Amino acid sequence: MSSQIMIEVKNISKHFERKIALSSLSFTVKKGERIALIGPSGAGKTTLLNSIAGIVKPESGELLIDGSPITRYKDGKKLAKKIGVIRQQFDLIGQLAVIHNVLAGRFSEWGFFKSILSLIVPQNKETANVALERVGLADKMFEQASNLSGGEQQRVALARLIVQGPEIILADEPVASLDPARAEDILTMLTNLVCEENQTLMASLHSVEYARKYFTRIIALKDGILFFDLPTEKVTDAILTDLYQLKEQG
Amino acid sequence: MKQLISSFQLHKRSLLTLILSGVFVWSLFSIKWNAELFHSGGGPIILQILKGLIHPAMKANLFSLGLQSAWITLAYAVAGMTFAILYAFVFGILASGILASSKTARISTKVFFRGILGFTRSIHELVWAWMFVAAIGLSPYAAILAIAIPYGGILGRIFADMLADVPEAPIKALKSAGASRMQALFYGYLPLVRADMISYTMYRFECAIRSSAIMSFVGLGGLGYQIQLSLADLKYDEVWLFVYFLIALVLLVDMWSNVIRKGLTGSTSKKWFGSSSISSVLVILLIFGSFGFIALGENAHLFDLLSKNNLEFTKKFFGGLIGLNNDRPAFLDLGSWMDAWKLSLETLQMSVMAIGFATIGAFLTVIPAARNIANGTLTTSKTWYGWLLFGIVRVLYIFSRAIPELVWAMIIIFIFKPGILPGAVALALHNFGILGKLWAEVIEDMDPRPIRNLASSGASKAQSFFYGVIPAVMPKFLTYILYRWEVIMRTTIVVGFVGA
Repeated sequence: MSSQIMIEVKNISKHFERKIALSSLSFTVKKGERIALIGPSGAGKTTLLNSIAGIVKPESGELLIDGSPITRYKDGKKLAKKIGVIRQQFDLIGQLAVIHNVLAGRFSEWGFFKSILSLIVPQNKETANVALERVGLADKMFEQASNLSGGEQQRVALARLIVQGPEIILADEPVASLDPARAEDILTMLTNLVCEENQTLMASLHSVEYARKYFTRIIALKDGILFFDLPTEKVTDAILTDLYQLKEQG
Repeated sequence: MKQLISSFQLHKRSLLTLILSGVFVWSLFSIKWNAELFHSGGGPIILQILKGLIHPAMKANLFSLGLQSAWITLAYAVAGMTFAILYAFVFGILASGILASSKTARISTKVFFRGILGFTRSIHELVWAWMFVAAIGLSPYAAILAIAIPYGGILGRIFADMLADVPEAPIKALKSAGASRMQALFYGYLPLVRADMISYTMYRFECAIRSSAIMSFVGLGGLGYQIQLSLADLKYDEVWLFVYFLIALVLLVDMWSNVIRKGLTGSTSKKWFGSSSISSVLVILLIFGSFGFIALGENAHLFDLLSKNNLEFTKKFFGGLIGLNNDRPAFLDLGSWMDAWKLSLETLQMSVMAIGFATIGAFLTVIPAARNIANGTLTTSKTWYGWLLFGIVRVLYIFSRAIPELVWAMIIIFIFKPGILPGAVALALHNFGILGKLWAEVIEDMDPRPIRNLASSGASKAQSFFYGVIPAVMPKFLTYILYRWEVIMRTTIVVGFVGA
């Protein structure tokens, strides 16, 4: 594993109205790490991922992506080469065919006219085919995306990420609305992909079981604060019970 | 094979789009595109009209005249809508078939009353106005009834649909508790559709203001009359002053109906009670004020209409409608049929051209007009000029839709020579604002998540637009185009009134 630092979070904070979403959070992520982000609902997992993806702007603190501040990546296309995002479904344009949804991963390289032309005559069809082959959906290339099942849609989103080929993948509850078999299927595919391409992965999850099974390091958030940050093998049941414990009423 | 079918499914919408574009291009061929289309002095006239737009006449006497005419327009609209609501309420309930006891009774009342509603709404308010003026003379009641009848037809039809679509469970529960049909109506059906009924009626009220304004075409007073007089005198600055009065009136009603609609949906807030009781008082004041003004100020009484003279004329008129006392009724004559065919073809071409122009205009402007694009939440990219463009386009939309198509036509024929094109342009100018507003709301209501995700895979604004926004909103855009086209076709017939 190389020691190159991909993500560096320094004291970032974020409030939504009066609620604290992130409270001076700091950690670093090295290239090739696979990090699971866990914690109770409302702990700030999504806000953290959105901050790293450049969608949410932290009020204070610093965020470095591959050594340069995230604000430096003003151009969305440059950021897309570094960071790719996958969420719990809703990623796809349901009215478009699968192939267009996959080729959207090429947007950082395509100009305007090429993308319009591609809607009529798909460009880089081979790239899309290879990516769909890898997720096992090559036969669904011309199907309308909204006709696919939840698991298949998520695989199309993975194919888009393959085409996009970012150095860091952020996954926000990637398997939240899938049944256990589909969920394991997607996670296996996602983690294999990350290993093969030597990418860095950060995923928020509800399931501790999946976090332990597929990830090398677990970061837990609670009320916007870093609760623990440990290699997977050092995460004990006791500390997990603490994390998910409800506040005593009284 | 399977792939073929799914690819057909996928391109069905593109196919429809293609056909519609083809029809539009065909309609353009009906016009000889050359300088002959314009009046020889068209250029300077445009300049003069634009000058009036920026510097409307600002004289005190004109101002009070404007206020007075605005009040007449409003009073006719309110009185017309009052009758329309009464008519629609009774006929709508009957046409919904919910009061019928047996299946045969339901079907026969439905067919009968829906037929009446359909007939009354299929005739444009101006045609009604023209008939009433012929029958009862230039009485305010000609305008009021001309608004009441077609608007009652539309409202009644919508009320009937709403009542027929009421969820069954609460009604069944009422009936099993021993409710009679009337009790079920007042405790079940009406409370269930109340909010939708009010909100739709408010929308129609806004349209009634515009209809009331164009009653001047048959010689009745109001804002349209003043606009017409000023146009005849070529005083464009006065024209625009009155147009601004009309826009203000439409805007006020629009704002009021927004307040009411918000109150109807967000029923939990306390403010609701305040605004809804103020609105109720306002409604009562408006109705009494309007009828009082018409009876006292204009000295017109409903029962005067039933004079012997008028009855005689009415009989003649309706007789002519069905071909009585006529040796060769128009509908048996081949020549009339040929004329009718040619006219319907021109009507069709004009309407296609109008919706085509309106679509192009709305398409070019709709993006900045959506609130979620102006504030950058949809595409996650914010620009300093977002709100500026939003404001400009929205003002343009309001301007465009507040002015009735016939008033646009009156102004347009000072620039173009009479023909299909000026009619189409006038219709397009009015519908552009409506279409743009409806579309912008579609974009505002769409699911932003897929778009944001496109942005995070590096899509530029234009790329997210073509891959994300367009595919998602296209079906609704098409629906609205077809809906407005239908409305335009109905209006095209009366655009002939101004010689276009």
